[in-house]
Amino acid sequence: MGYFSEGMSKALALLLNMDDATFSAIQATLSSTSCALLVAATLGLPLGFLLGYTTFPGKKFLRLLSDTLLAFPTVLIGLIVYVFITYRGPLGQFGLLFTLPGMVIGQSILALPIVISWTAQAVENLDRRCRETLLTLGASPSQLALHTIREIRYDLGMVCVTAFGRVVTEVGVAMMLGGNIRYSTRTMTTAISLETSKGEFAQGIALGLVLLLIAFLVNFLLAWFSDTRDEHEHSF
Amino acid sequence: MNILFEAHDLRKCYGSITALHLPSFVMEKGETVVLTGRNGSGKSTLLRLLAFLEKPTSGVLRYAGSQTEPRREITLLLQEPYLMKASVFWNVTLGLRLRGVDRKLAHNGYMESMLAVGFTDPESMASRGPGELSGGEKQRIALASRLILSPSVLLLDEPTSNVDAASEKAILNAVRSLRPRGVSVVCATHDRDVPAALEAREIGIVSEPV
Amino acid sequence: MNHSGKILFSTLLALSCALPAHAADSLMMATTTSTQDSGLLEYVAPTFKKETGIDLKWVAVGTGKALEIAKNCDADVLLVHAPDVEKKFIEDGYGIDRRQIMYNDFVIVGPKADPAKIAGKTTAEALKAIYDAKAGFVSRGDKSGTHSAELKLWKNSNLSPDKEPFYISAGQGMMATLAIAAEKGAYALTDRGTWIKYANQQGDANPLAIVVEGDSALFNQYSVITTNPAICPNVKKDLAVTFEDWWVKPETQKLIEDYKLEGKQLFFPNAGK
Repeated sequence: MGYFSEGMSKALALLLNMDDATFSAIQATLSSTSCALLVAATLGLPLGFLLGYTTFPGKKFLRLLSDTLLAFPTVLIGLIVYVFITYRGPLGQFGLLFTLPGMVIGQSILALPIVISWTAQAVENLDRRCRETLLTLGASPSQLALHTIREIRYDLGMVCVTAFGRVVTEVGVAMMLGGNIRYSTRTMTTAISLETSKGEFAQGIALGLVLLLIAFLVNFLLAWFSDTRDEHEHSF
Repeated sequence: MNILFEAHDLRKCYGSITALHLPSFVMEKGETVVLTGRNGSGKSTLLRLLAFLEKPTSGVLRYAGSQTEPRREITLLLQEPYLMKASVFWNVTLGLRLRGVDRKLAHNGYMESMLAVGFTDPESMASRGPGELSGGEKQRIALASRLILSPSVLLLDEPTSNVDAASEKAILNAVRSLRPRGVSVVCATHDRDVPAALEAREIGIVSEPV
Repeated sequence: MNHSGKILFSTLLALSCALPAHAADSLMMATTTSTQDSGLLEYVAPTFKKETGIDLKWVAVGTGKALEIAKNCDADVLLVHAPDVEKKFIEDGYGIDRRQIMYNDFVIVGPKADPAKIAGKTTAEALKAIYDAKAGFVSRGDKSGTHSAELKLWKNSNLSPDKEPFYISAGQGMMATLAIAAEKGAYALTDRGTWIKYANQQGDANPLAIVVEGDSALFNQYSVITTNPAICPNVKKDLAVTFEDWWVKPETQKLIEDYKLEGKQLFFPNAGK
């Protein structure tokens, strides 16, 4: 318990003193995670929607594949991307290893199956009557698709938050591809891992609390956005 | 005679289960028809075929309206109404907006159709969400969202089950008022009072398992 | 896309644009965890930057992985402590210009009760005693410099404890390895820097104590190496020379000497010796 209370006060001190290293880690965490989420959402939301919405031969297999990839160990993703972006790898010429963009590649791959599977799931879980209601109100195929997306918008928001949570808290990909470089690719999680290996447990807990705070803020923002949107739409 | 729907030896199967077998069915334009029969007799299935939500497995079903876009002339009120996650106003005017009608006209239609299903103060209902409504209110709002489209054919699946007495009265009134306007109505129900209340022709549906 | 989606989208976009700018002159170093975890690198990096204008970036991993990173041309320079492996690395043509810069030493720590009675013995005798007594021993088991030093010590004593039940291969960092040794009441080989930190944290409750130290066999040499530019054309050759020159010059050597952890000197400069 000593570590925990010490961690609490250290977390406060880090934030109040605008500690350079901590803020650099927060920035690295947020920029890599949001880039990864942007990539994963741009690719994953449409793919997941198509996977859940349409029927085609091989759909079940793709669905199974995406679900399996959910359980992909992050270290393995890190290793595979590592092999590709190391100087001697096929993408070596771009010098991506131990940079934020390199990290973003791995984190996008980590987030993609989450976004795809959960989006497909949200579409499949939608009440059958929603589709029938839209059809009986005269929706064209494109209107049907559009309003189906609208109907699962909160689920899609949750999908993104879930993917964000998975990426922001993972350490394997960030460590392997980013390299935990001070003031560059050191994220909250790799910093925690470093403090732990240095035996600075209280400092590790302090950073962990800051990370929790960030996750809380992201969820809070999402909730806030959905609230303001509802007020807007319910008015005349 | 002005035939609207005409069906012969109509069959709808789901796998090995025959949901509907109807040897013959004829309905005139402007007529109000009530389908009766016990649960599982195929009433709902027939309505879904008439609404073009599904295709028959075998047999003939002819529709004599405008052949180009039957979906925009025929509308179906589902047995348990589904409201989209949005306000009452949004739900009622959804079909109009799908047809590209602007907000001002949609507002007029909203007032009219909500009054028709017995809401005395539609303005106060406009911004409510689906979670703040009773079963009867939901059913009436779903009906309003169909009436606002001025359909040629209105299909109703058990519109009065699971609603309070006041809502039932309002729904039947609204449906009855369609006849003078030439709207054709098909209503599936197991409520013995409905055929008389709608002054409708009654057709018994019996689909035997094959 | 709806209204709030747009806001969320642009927020994310704004955040992604906050990517830190890259400095023009930067050097990538692969090093061992001990130089980072002891705080030495953070202590010298600002001076290095001030004197050379080079932004030093480092990845701290086990020595084995550090060498692998250099083999793949993903680092310009190395700061490692496994002389035998380093020599092989250079013989194989992967590195050039190896220069010794400093040393620290290993110590053998164990339970205060010292069940194998090794206190005061030489390293070879001590390992033999641990082996004979089947007392617990926790190894890093992670191909780090400390691990390879430990393997060498066993080999020099003609012992192979690898498959013995008393020998625990942790596969973790030094601090975690010490924690395991404390839990299991076992011996372990550790670098002095990590030990000082560990002992300081545990205070009086520390179940472990140094049992063997000061033996020349426990000498731990650190060197800098440049990745061979003939094999890796992307290596910043000129910056690497500046880097190596900087480490061996007297002012830097003095800087190393002055670095203290919990009031104790950790690294002993020995460039050119």
